[in-house]
Amino acid sequence: MDGLIVGLDLCDAYTQMVCGQGEKSWTLPTVVCKKKDEDLWLVGEAAYASALAGDGVIVDKLVKLVKKDGTATIGGIKYGGMQLLSHFLQKVLELAREEYGTEMIKRLVISVARVDQRLLTCLQGCGEYLGVEERSLSVISHTESFMYYVLSQKREVWNNQIGMFDLSPDGLCYYEMKVQRGMRQTTVLAEREELEESFSLDILKTGAGAKLADRILFSCGSRLLQKKAFSSIFLTGKGFEETDWAREFMKLVCTRRRVYGENTLFAQGAAYRAVDLTREKTGYPYVCICEGRLDSSVTMKVLHKDQENQLVLAEAGESWHEAGKEVELILDQQDYLEFIITAMDPKKKKAVRLVLEGFPRRDGKTLKVLLKIGFLDERTMTVTVRDQGFGDFFPSTGASMRQEVML
Amino acid sequence: MSVIVCRPEKVTRPYYVEDLGVNIYSSQEFCYAIYHHPMLFMDRFDDQNLIDFIRDQLGMGFAAARMEQRMKAGEKSVELMFLFMQECDYYTAAELNRFRQLVTSLKKLPPLEYAKRKTDYLVECKQYGRAIAGYQAILEAAGDKKDDLLAGLVWNNLGACYARIFQFQKAMEAYDRAYGKKKDLGLLEKMYHLTLLDSGLELKERYKSLISPQLKEKWDRDFDEAREKAGESPQLKNLQELFRKDSVKRGEGAARLVEEWKQEYRSMA
Repeated sequence: MDGLIVGLDLCDAYTQMVCGQGEKSWTLPTVVCKKKDEDLWLVGEAAYASALAGDGVIVDKLVKLVKKDGTATIGGIKYGGMQLLSHFLQKVLELAREEYGTEMIKRLVISVARVDQRLLTCLQGCGEYLGVEERSLSVISHTESFMYYVLSQKREVWNNQIGMFDLSPDGLCYYEMKVQRGMRQTTVLAEREELEESFSLDILKTGAGAKLADRILFSCGSRLLQKKAFSSIFLTGKGFEETDWAREFMKLVCTRRRVYGENTLFAQGAAYRAVDLTREKTGYPYVCICEGRLDSSVTMKVLHKDQENQLVLAEAGESWHEAGKEVELILDQQDYLEFIITAMDPKKKKAVRLVLEGFPRRDGKTLKVLLKIGFLDERTMTVTVRDQGFGDFFPSTGASMRQEVML
Repeated sequence: MSVIVCRPEKVTRPYYVEDLGVNIYSSQEFCYAIYHHPMLFMDRFDDQNLIDFIRDQLGMGFAAARMEQRMKAGEKSVELMFLFMQECDYYTAAELNRFRQLVTSLKKLPPLEYAKRKTDYLVECKQYGRAIAGYQAILEAAGDKKDDLLAGLVWNNLGACYARIFQFQKAMEAYDRAYGKKKDLGLLEKMYHLTLLDSGLELKERYKSLISPQLKEKWDRDFDEAREKAGESPQLKNLQELFRKDSVKRGEGAARLVEEWKQEYRSMA
């Protein structure tokens, strides 16, 4: 075996792991415990046992801790969120390493509810600690995991729209995916909606509570599924480990549709993505648009061989945190850069002009600038421009600017 | 108005253009240099070192291979230059057409006239040493040909070059030869001014008789004005500023300045 291919679903309540090589999966609460008198870290049931015995200190809600840049003090030592998460992930990955007898992580894809810059930076830091190369680690959203999971099933499963309910201790979410088959390319769109009707899973422990939960879900289902043709409905999350309590809801979703229950769906979706990333050519030749990916393309008109061409700076369907470009440009008699932002609906095409204030005016095609494009999230593009000078003829003035552009 | 995407080029060993005193770090800079100084590059492209730079440093292997093929087939340097510029995609077809017309018109000049224009360009680039060699080669090639106008201009320019590198004796001789080809009062004025710059020099008696007291007075006045103007030049102001600084800064500044002057003189001579 030339290294593990791991899909990991990281949530505040629990974490699931699936390896691309096999069927085995792991589910364990997202808590880490440090023994009071020794430098030993524990996860899962062992962590709870140690905390209950009073010889360890437990920290939970690690994702939230990281997002708010929090810390926890154990045995007089202050630990940052990233440190704690690193210890947790190390112990989790040890399970797979032991199972498959290999240390090397060939590809690790972590799926989180929502990818933001802070969490992303933290997970990249964790990857470094874990000895996973930067290029071997990817972070995707739950919506993207859902998309990869569904697209990995038989085609008849995703002929039309696909819906999914995720009921977990972290909340109730609805996902929807549709496939648009075009002449040149197939576009897959997926969305996620956090439902306000979310409830604690503890209420399922009583008959009355379970009935109330069923009614809530039935109401949500009726609203979300009406007048739409679905190929299939998926149910995931701890809340759907048993479905006896949700009779009315199940009756609703099972009418004229296939319904699948899959507890480790996000981890499996991440594993499918991880396997795909190890291939030379993707097994998913679609434009995938969802949370965590750009829904617009950014281009610029350039002159090439006397003809006006489009320079693609970012493409719809790219992960916003992986998208970006660095390119040197020569500006001929113009003191601005113009970006063309094209959404999925071509009618929504718009041009954004960035005037280069404070830049030198140089004629004769000698204004050379370095353009760097990056993204803070799906909707915010960062543009950095710097005067590069023109060799020994015109040294750089050092002029530069940075601007955020809303897509 | 347009935007051009630059080719990614990682130049670790730039190409030094001695005539311009600049290093070339990219194909865009190279095209710019050629476009604005065609005389310096027209006859330089059938050079293996230059083609190696295009292939290894600019990463234009295909263009370099084509240039090599054409060079072996005996194609002229100027055609290799056009091929390179086309491949770079820096100038538009219209710009390149205009450039080609200019280069063609230069190439159509009679050989000695062309050589003189090329050498004049070296003077513009302050390459006086190379210009002197160029002018001498033209005079040698011209031999006994009866073209007093061209010879007069070349001797005149040669005199100017010698004067710029402070070789006043040789400058005087060159102006003398120029006057022999063309009886121009301006040449007499230059020779007279040389005697003011170098007290060891003296005008020939036959020239002295040609200069009236009024003319001499005017030339003296012009010389004083030029000297006064030179005294107000920014370079001199900077030098005075430097000598007002403390000894450490003055020493550092003076060392830097002397080094600059040495470099400048070396490239000139």
